[in-house]
Amino acid sequence: MPRQRVIYSDVFYDPLTQDVEELLAHFQQTDSVRYEEFSAIWREMGFSDVFIGTTSRSELKRFCRVALATAVKYFLPPYSYQIRVGGLYLMFGLYNTQLAVPPVQIRLALRDWAQVQKFVKDSVDSGHQDVVYIYQKLVASKAIHYTAMPHLLTFLKQRKRKKEAVCEGFIGRTVAVQELYSADILEEGSNIQSQYETLKEATEEVGSKASMTQRDFTARLKDCMSEFLTWQQKTFSQHNKESGDDEDEEEEEKSAEASSSRARLLSSIKQKSYSNFQEVSKARRHRQQETVEESSSGAEQVQETLQRRRPPSLRARTWKSLGVTREECRHQSWLLSAPEQQRVAVRRTNQTPPFKP
Amino acid sequence: MGIGADTMADLKSVCSLDSLRCHPVDQPPDTDFVPPDPTLRTLIQRKKKQDHRASLKICKNRHDLYADELERLTVGRKPEEEADMVPEGEVVLTINVYYPATFEKFTYVRPHVTLLMTGSHSLAELRDAICCVSDLQVCGEFSNTPDMAPDFISKDHYKSAFFYFEGVFYNDMRYPECQDISITTIEWAKTRNFPAYSQAKMEDTRFVDLKLKVGFPYLYCHQGDCEHLVIITDIRLTHENDCLDKKLYPLLTHKHRVTTQKCAVCHVYIGRWFTTDDQFAPSDPCLFCDKCFRMLHYDAEGNKLGEFLAYPYVDRGAFN
Repeated sequence: MPRQRVIYSDVFYDPLTQDVEELLAHFQQTDSVRYEEFSAIWREMGFSDVFIGTTSRSELKRFCRVALATAVKYFLPPYSYQIRVGGLYLMFGLYNTQLAVPPVQIRLALRDWAQVQKFVKDSVDSGHQDVVYIYQKLVASKAIHYTAMPHLLTFLKQRKRKKEAVCEGFIGRTVAVQELYSADILEEGSNIQSQYETLKEATEEVGSKASMTQRDFTARLKDCMSEFLTWQQKTFSQHNKESGDDEDEEEEEKSAEASSSRARLLSSIKQKSYSNFQEVSKARRHRQQETVEESSSGAEQVQETLQRRRPPSLRARTWKSLGVTREECRHQSWLLSAPEQQRVAVRRTNQTPPFKP
Repeated sequence: MGIGADTMADLKSVCSLDSLRCHPVDQPPDTDFVPPDPTLRTLIQRKKKQDHRASLKICKNRHDLYADELERLTVGRKPEEEADMVPEGEVVLTINVYYPATFEKFTYVRPHVTLLMTGSHSLAELRDAICCVSDLQVCGEFSNTPDMAPDFISKDHYKSAFFYFEGVFYNDMRYPECQDISITTIEWAKTRNFPAYSQAKMEDTRFVDLKLKVGFPYLYCHQGDCEHLVIITDIRLTHENDCLDKKLYPLLTHKHRVTTQKCAVCHVYIGRWFTTDDQFAPSDPCLFCDKCFRMLHYDAEGNKLGEFLAYPYVDRGAFN
């Protein structure tokens, strides 16, 4: 008997994901979190028709499960608040318009529960009453299954693990730097530093010989943070402005524009994410209190973090088990303010030579 | 949240289900066929599939009709007595018990049985719910005494069984005949470099006490060597749409049907006797149903005719 391919067996279904992303992109363009806007877009797209046309009951159940799982994906972090509200509205819409009887429930995993609670609390605090109302309505109509794992386990061997493309335009921008800025950590830091300086002057032997901190540490940190914030605002609002221009054009062109602007978003956001890493590591270096140059190490860190994102190779694991850690090697390359070429050479010897038959 | 009645009324009207309705109330769309000129990509894809299916001439698939039959029967069932109601906050586990693997033929399908159990059930109850044909096997040659066969079912002889979850062997110790069959494995593991395993009793352990990994294969072993793979596929809290009658658990939701082998003579009844060295049989070995077996091998008084060896046979699909 030949193997029968089961449809909707993967967790997400591509055409549906595209439809959902289109809906959420329209919602994002309205720049509001009101339910009226969402339902207007829903009605315009005729979204409740997604369930039409499946004849077999088991197919319909599977499709409903996939659709609800897609909605839950956009309800959870790392997406921005507006997209998460859109995800919640989508969950509500899909749950109530589904054709399966008895209705398929929304799966909420244990690990996401804290995030959901935080989201609801934030909505309550911000006074978004329709968001809270929709959420309470879902809970009250017993639409949610509280599960251990987010997706129902199915056993089909995947030939190629498909990497899920996260729609970059929907991701919420990180606010961690802003929070750090607003907190009084900088002041505290400068206070501690001045105290340290005075104590050091008091001890005459050590006084001028050793120095553990940089003099302008807090000022430089402040500079970095404000630079990041201005850049973030500039790029983010730039894209908003771009998408705002499209509203005058026709719908097909709008979708084409949106997809090309999305492509531009993707490429620019990839650069953004690399510089994000750069930012984090800079701060870490400051905390470690080493004297390093700022400018030259930017590009290498991009490549190094790229490497780090892959799982550790066999060579790395053996080195680790033998006691020589790769981290140490990398650390050393940071400590030495070596010129670019030497660093590249160091990395080359660390890598395994390519296979030549 | 502390909002006034007017805002509440506003909210209700805005967020009502009417807002999701895309077609006017008196013209519900035909849910079986995709409407023409779909705009959503999902519908475009589906329309293609529908057109393709219409071009082929396949009649309705029988498997679809029976696919969720078991589940449909039990969904939303409430018990008659209050005491039998599954309490709120109870955990429901979905357990897949796979049939013992046969490696003669590699199949893409993994036949299994899906059981739903609550957290407060013990492992012994799960064991009782697992039906395996090896439990019904009868050992011994019965050509001389064909009527005495049913007295020696393996289930009654070899009552020991164990589950293996997360490094602990849970043995069945309910009956005096049960032995601890996991001790061999534990002692073998001690001689090699394995982490130490421990033991516990099956009937004393409930599911809520276990530490489990979802999707990780565990073992159920009975009859000494009949091993089944056990995988927990889902854990969730109970819901009003579930079957709420405690007496119905463990609940069977899915069972693979195995093709049965029929009698070599009539091809109608399932084979119950297995003969070797049989002068009457067309092949060696040969399968017979009870009627054909007695008609061929015994005369009217029940005397054995000819030379043969007969063994009672339990077909794999005995639990269909």
